[in-house]
Amino acid sequence: MKRALGDHWALPSLDAHTRDFFTAGVLTLQQCQRCRHIQHPPEDVCEACQSFELGGFASAGDGRIESVAVVTQAVHPLLADRVPYAIVLVSVADAPGILLAGNVVGREPDGVRIGDRVRVVFEDATDLRSGTPLKIPQWQIVE
Amino acid sequence: MRALGSDALGRLVSATTLDHCAPLETAIVETAGLSNVWSATRLTFVATMQRECAMHGSAAIAGIGESTYYKRGESPHTEFQLACIAIQRAIADAGLELGDIDGFVSYTDQRNTPLRLARALGLKALRWTGIPWAGGGNSLAAAVQNADAAATAGYARHIVVFRALAQGQFGRYGQAGAGRGGAAYMEGPFAWNGPYGILTPAHQCALQTARFMHDHGISQEALCEVALACYANAQRNPRALRRGQPLTREAYHASRWVVKPFHLYDCCPENDGAAAAVVTTIERARDLRHRPATILAAASGIGPQFGTFDVATLGSAHYRQVGEHLWEQAGCRPEDVDVAQFYENFTGPVLMALCEMGFTSPDALEEFVAGGRLVGPDAAFPFNTSGGNIGEAYIHGFEMINESVRQIRGDSTCQVANVARALVVAGPGYCPGSAVLFGAPE
Repeated sequence: MKRALGDHWALPSLDAHTRDFFTAGVLTLQQCQRCRHIQHPPEDVCEACQSFELGGFASAGDGRIESVAVVTQAVHPLLADRVPYAIVLVSVADAPGILLAGNVVGREPDGVRIGDRVRVVFEDATDLRSGTPLKIPQWQIVE
Repeated sequence: MRALGSDALGRLVSATTLDHCAPLETAIVETAGLSNVWSATRLTFVATMQRECAMHGSAAIAGIGESTYYKRGESPHTEFQLACIAIQRAIADAGLELGDIDGFVSYTDQRNTPLRLARALGLKALRWTGIPWAGGGNSLAAAVQNADAAATAGYARHIVVFRALAQGQFGRYGQAGAGRGGAAYMEGPFAWNGPYGILTPAHQCALQTARFMHDHGISQEALCEVALACYANAQRNPRALRRGQPLTREAYHASRWVVKPFHLYDCCPENDGAAAAVVTTIERARDLRHRPATILAAASGIGPQFGTFDVATLGSAHYRQVGEHLWEQAGCRPEDVDVAQFYENFTGPVLMALCEMGFTSPDALEEFVAGGRLVGPDAAFPFNTSGGNIGEAYIHGFEMINESVRQIRGDSTCQVANVARALVVAGPGYCPGSAVLFGAPE
């Protein structure tokens, strides 16, 4: 899938915390291997039991829009022809408590509502510095 | 070894009393069996009133100063020069000399470091430097709190708290780029939001505000009232950049959207300028030129959730704990505040903070702000009397500290009658938050 904000828009920089989330191709969250707590953004320590044994959790990718705002004024030249676009915060059904930022694909920005059910989809991009293929999570409304 | 003054001892006694009171407060709230947190918050205030806790007030602001405020890019001076101007004026206002200053406190990625300032201004000694962790304008009152603690403890004698901001010289807060995102690769915390075009404080605060409006049925008119009040009060203030540009309700609604639910007039401008204040002990302040603005109480922090984007606190300004802690320390209630300055980078977080600080509830919010109830010196709720970030100038809120001191002295351009307590609520929407309550000396 092409990128919601354009193929030239900024990419996430890959590091130990961001790599799985932006490359796995399934919605991968950080989970404590000792107490099973899921947290986002990833941390060096489990925020529930303080363990350092942290791994990944493959979410089914079902979510709910918890807030939406519509950006109408571009704050970067690369976004000038992308406004208006909806920015959303999404809660994840199988990982209660966390919120993920994103955009909504396939619906006019003013048509996105708090409470809408969504499902994860992935944008394709490439980290040109390392050649790594990126799969950037985005959200599609479940009608 | 330094002997504790009577004020410092009073503070220790006060703190001890509070510790003993804590179970009482919890008991009252729990006995009532309230699930409604707003009601619980009000009960907390009742419990606080029953404590007869001594107020703080061991330090005060003795002098204030500011540079001329400019639209972004119009300052003839560098940011550092603006800082020097504001600091020199604050020191002169106090009736002190540069050599009397021995501490600097600021907040946010402050480029004008204490060493650079001490050299440039010819200080004799530097005994205290401080900067609160994290954030932007949310640390404004925490900076005053830091200076209060240092002056009260005697670590330094005369501490300058200041903020200088030249968005013309450095990066713009309202644009991506210049190190604030917009690069080809988003590093660290920017990686989670930047690729989705969530780039500026307006975007973040819009998401929080949208959820708050949704949860409580808050209308666009409530946001409009905040902007109208800031513009109306700015018309009285010769320092205000929006003086001569009154705002009407029609113009507000006709203005372009920046990020829904924020119109242009819901957003503070980007400005260049600096403001400063001198903090010292109340004993020293009494011997200086002006009536001191006593620091009655200050609070900073957050908890138990610490994330900005978090399901449990999404539709909030993260200020409930700041409010509870402030009133607990101050030994008074929101109703006892005579005039309040609420940091408005955007109007929405002000509405949330009005509720979380205990002035109203989401259900009563529309009526609390409606029909000009925030406008002018005789307002039902005297609010942002200098025009605030939106109407006076966006100096990261520091203009609100100076306005509160003017209200205590009685020389504001929108002077509220007989001000005994003046509140500044810093940077709602971001965390950790902070607030400071000033008082007239006894």
